[in-house]
Amino acid sequence: MTGRRRLAGAGTVVRRRLLVAVPVLAATSMGMFALGAASPIDPAQQYAGAAAFTTSEENLAQIRANWGVDDPLPVQYARWVGNLLRGDLGWSTSRHEPVTSVLASRAGWTLLLVGTALALVLVASVLLGTLAAYRRGGWFDRALRAVAYAVQSMPVFWIGLAAIAVFALSLGWLPAGGLTDITATSTDPADVARHLVLPVTVLAISQAPWFVLFVRDAVAESLRDDHVLAARARGLPGRVVLFGHALRTALLPFLTLVGTHLPELVGGAVLVETVFSLPGLGAVTVEAALGADFPLLAATTLATAVVVLTANLLTDLAYAAADPRVRLDD
Amino acid sequence: MTDLALPARVRRLRRPGSAGTTVAVVVLAGVVAAALLAPVLWPLDQSAVDLSRTRLAPSADNLAGTDDLGRDVALRSLYGLRVSLLVGAVAALVAAVIGGLVGALAGSVGGWVDRALMRVVDTVAALPHLLLGIFIVAMLRPSLGAVIASIALTHWLSTARIVRSELLSLRNRPFVDAAISGGASRARVLTRHLLPHVLPRLALATTLMVPHAVWHETALSFLGLGLPPHLASIGNMINDGQRSLLTGAWWASIVPGLLLVAATLALAVLTGRWRDRLDPRVRAELQL
Amino acid sequence: MAIRPKPVRVAAVLAAALLVVAGCSSPTASTGGPGNSGTLVVATAGEPDTLNPVLNYGVDGASLIFDGLVARDARNDLVPALARELPTVSADGKTVTAKLREGVLFHDGSPLTAQDVVFTYQAVLDPAVDSTLRSDLDMLASVAAPDPATVVFTLKYAYAPFLQRLALGIVPAKAFAGQDINKATFNRKPVGTGPYRFTSWTPGDRLVLAANETYWDGKPANSGVVVAFVADDNVRAQRMRAGEFDAAELAPKLASGFESRDGYRVHKVPTADYRGVMLPMGNPVTGDPAIRKALNVAVDRQAMVTGVLGGAGEPAFGPVPPTSEYAEPTIAGKPGADVAAATAELDAAGWKPGPDGIRVKDGRQAAFTILYPATDSLRKELALAVTADAKKVGITVTPEGLTWDAITPRMKRDALIMGYGTPYDPDFVSYKLFSSAFAGQGFFNPGSYRSAVTDAALQAGRDNADPAARKAAYATFQKQLAADVPWVFLTYLQHTYVLKDAVTGVTPRVEPHEHDVANSIWWNVHTWTKES
Repeated sequence: MTGRRRLAGAGTVVRRRLLVAVPVLAATSMGMFALGAASPIDPAQQYAGAAAFTTSEENLAQIRANWGVDDPLPVQYARWVGNLLRGDLGWSTSRHEPVTSVLASRAGWTLLLVGTALALVLVASVLLGTLAAYRRGGWFDRALRAVAYAVQSMPVFWIGLAAIAVFALSLGWLPAGGLTDITATSTDPADVARHLVLPVTVLAISQAPWFVLFVRDAVAESLRDDHVLAARARGLPGRVVLFGHALRTALLPFLTLVGTHLPELVGGAVLVETVFSLPGLGAVTVEAALGADFPLLAATTLATAVVVLTANLLTDLAYAAADPRVRLDD
Repeated sequence: MTDLALPARVRRLRRPGSAGTTVAVVVLAGVVAAALLAPVLWPLDQSAVDLSRTRLAPSADNLAGTDDLGRDVALRSLYGLRVSLLVGAVAALVAAVIGGLVGALAGSVGGWVDRALMRVVDTVAALPHLLLGIFIVAMLRPSLGAVIASIALTHWLSTARIVRSELLSLRNRPFVDAAISGGASRARVLTRHLLPHVLPRLALATTLMVPHAVWHETALSFLGLGLPPHLASIGNMINDGQRSLLTGAWWASIVPGLLLVAATLALAVLTGRWRDRLDPRVRAELQL
Repeated sequence: MAIRPKPVRVAAVLAAALLVVAGCSSPTASTGGPGNSGTLVVATAGEPDTLNPVLNYGVDGASLIFDGLVARDARNDLVPALARELPTVSADGKTVTAKLREGVLFHDGSPLTAQDVVFTYQAVLDPAVDSTLRSDLDMLASVAAPDPATVVFTLKYAYAPFLQRLALGIVPAKAFAGQDINKATFNRKPVGTGPYRFTSWTPGDRLVLAANETYWDGKPANSGVVVAFVADDNVRAQRMRAGEFDAAELAPKLASGFESRDGYRVHKVPTADYRGVMLPMGNPVTGDPAIRKALNVAVDRQAMVTGVLGGAGEPAFGPVPPTSEYAEPTIAGKPGADVAAATAELDAAGWKPGPDGIRVKDGRQAAFTILYPATDSLRKELALAVTADAKKVGITVTPEGLTWDAITPRMKRDALIMGYGTPYDPDFVSYKLFSSAFAGQGFFNPGSYRSAVTDAALQAGRDNADPAARKAAYATFQKQLAADVPWVFLTYLQHTYVLKDAVTGVTPRVEPHEHDVANSIWWNVHTWTKES
């Protein structure tokens, strides 16, 4: 009975979320275009690169006219939205290829990096955080918290460089960068996996403190909750109390945290991709920003916004599924 | 006398968190004082290039060695920390003002204004901060102001949410009702009754944001989008020093990095203590 | 719950680990593995935006995938390539005729014809095509193919170094049938006539090329080339140390770390790539000849070469590289700083030291701003070095790092660290940089330098086909620049490359400013081999 009603509620939530998502995405894309219009960067000069030095002003003006970048902003925006609705994301002026093909060739690697790192962070932080909370104040708890605070203070690229220095250069266990061995002719999954060990671990480590500290605090808190204390009072063994009661209560807010923390994870991925020279969306977005490449910037921003909104929706649904007390049509 | 002093010290150590707090206070005070007083204590030119003294190892003359251009790393690190902390503090303050205003408006007016503002918050929250920051800096051209703007504009969300939810929960409290029924104006209720409750949380959120803002500056500098590269900032120095790491001159990136870690770590420990005294609901919202 | 000093200790341990690693120089295990032993892996920072020569890829030849009508040998002298012999120039210098080599095939098996050459050059001239190359070919009026083996170029005016412009790679016309050249798939999947055929390109990662077994100039000595694109200097150095590359371009200071390592060698390749300070005439301080001349002798070029370039460079005194036959030796000054001469120059011109040490004349302080592009750490360091040297003679310089778009509107008033240079012909860059006709036009002559002597010399060098007359003209040009000091030339760079000892057949030649896939030390990679 409750299952059916819950499912119906889920439909409402999805509909409502979608109603919200469209204006959010529209506002985001317009914001990007407005900011871009305020930018003094000349895309034609960026395009010319070092050749701008020997390129005449007429030459550059002709290129700008070919691109239509001097058209009024609403015209450019309307043209872009029109193409977008027809499935054409436009032409990337910094990459010299269609935006769709930039996204197609790169988004997968970024998703793989972020997804794997997220999975690693979740598993590790639940395990470590619970352990620490169970023996709060013990040496493990103190050490974990100390390390978490320390890691939080270290820039992710600094950790990345240290990892390269130790595991790639000094020990020679893992490759220092790239996606496949440089002489490889195809993308062999085992090869890619070996190349992703360091970047994924570094990204996971740099993001772990938030999650570990949260799990630890939440579990520690819920161990003091009434129903947990009651379970204890009933004489249930500590392990049952911990995993059966305290952890379940604590993990619910944790799901929301995952959703809200995703943008931060993507930011970390940009830096990790740079350090390990991975061909993901990160490096290309920096390039696009410097080249005032609106179609690509708008597309990457919208794509990440879509991913985050979807993740938020999923966590909402998971939250509701996990906790019958939460009413979805709330 | 020592008999009296010793138990007191032991007791202090036993009290949860006090040793860490003491260390944190000492480290933070030392580092910040050195950074702030650097121009007075060591009135030397931190930007003085001397190409005949490049990449010298630490010695009595140059406590932390010299960098690629013969500048003193120790002195430059302190100046760099000044800049980085300044950027972090100003950015956090600006973010707090933006977030505080948005949150106060949403929480006190309510209704569609609240819904619309929270929609804006959701929109910005759905965008990766670093990507948005990169975009803002690129559009405004890398400079001190642009870096501060990019951090502030991407980090006001948590303060907005905190202020809003505090106000919403306070609105239903008896003393507020009493004040309103007593004929107090909305502005008066806000400033006299609500603000004193909200301000401590706002202050905590702002302080928590400082290390994060410093980290953001470092990341932007690493991507070449930060402060002007000849300016001493921790981010620029680690960036410059990276190259030296491979050629053996580790001090040029390690020393500023350690200084940054020491300062932000101490700051984080202190604010962590502060946060631990608050109730868990607020704690969850303080996750940046 | 006490934290104790634990976190500090963790940081210290990490720092210690880094220390050990940084200090340790033991050879590391190769993670790259030998793989296909016949394939060479080279690494570079710069990645082309496109692989279409029409859109500015490998314009000066050595593009690995394409051939031009002419090519350059190890001494940068022109040799025939797709042209059977060097093209002939008519007596009035306005008609250039090239006869094509017979039996040359594109990688797809189709034969090269004169129509392909005509198509390539017409595409560059077509306003609808986004090519920045058009500015370099503004002397070209039209191209025609009277028969399938002959191409005739008609020029608007006689242009002595025109043959130097014919190294541009030739593309097959039929590959573009019905396509917009700006967006053609060809730009990412090119077909040429060169020693290597295109296999794949993963932007941001690598370009994979396979040997062209039917190359007209003999099949390559190796089975293929992989060009790895690693923008970050440090990452490239780390991956070179991990043994992933056979050759890599590295910043001089990073390259020097390989000099003592077994199995590696470092090549310092001379270039025409100079750096200098452009001093605008529109600024009252830098517009004063005394300030310009004083700065010119006050800068310590030798210290910049040693300290900033890690020894990979040489002092520069003018825009024609010392390796060029057109270089005028008499303009060279002292490599070190001459503070006494600078002081005397300033004193004589009435710039007297003020109370704060900064010189003053007519109530104006000797102070100006030097701009540099913020992303370029070499130019940043040179700007800081000039600042330090200027301070010693009482001139205050404020360095300012900006993006190019922020620099552009300020070039008329503020000094700028500039750099460029090609070894091929002295006309190429200098004509536009120092002619008064281009004063104030974008990057061409931003400081608005004007000299009738310089103008006449540059024009004579362009109009005259006679080598002796050209040499005389460029000697006059260089001497006039040295007298007027519109720029303080600082250094010529050497591009530094690290190669594995196992690689043989390497013949470095003088390189231009622009070098990535094309025109780097691997310009003749098709003759390289690797011992296993």
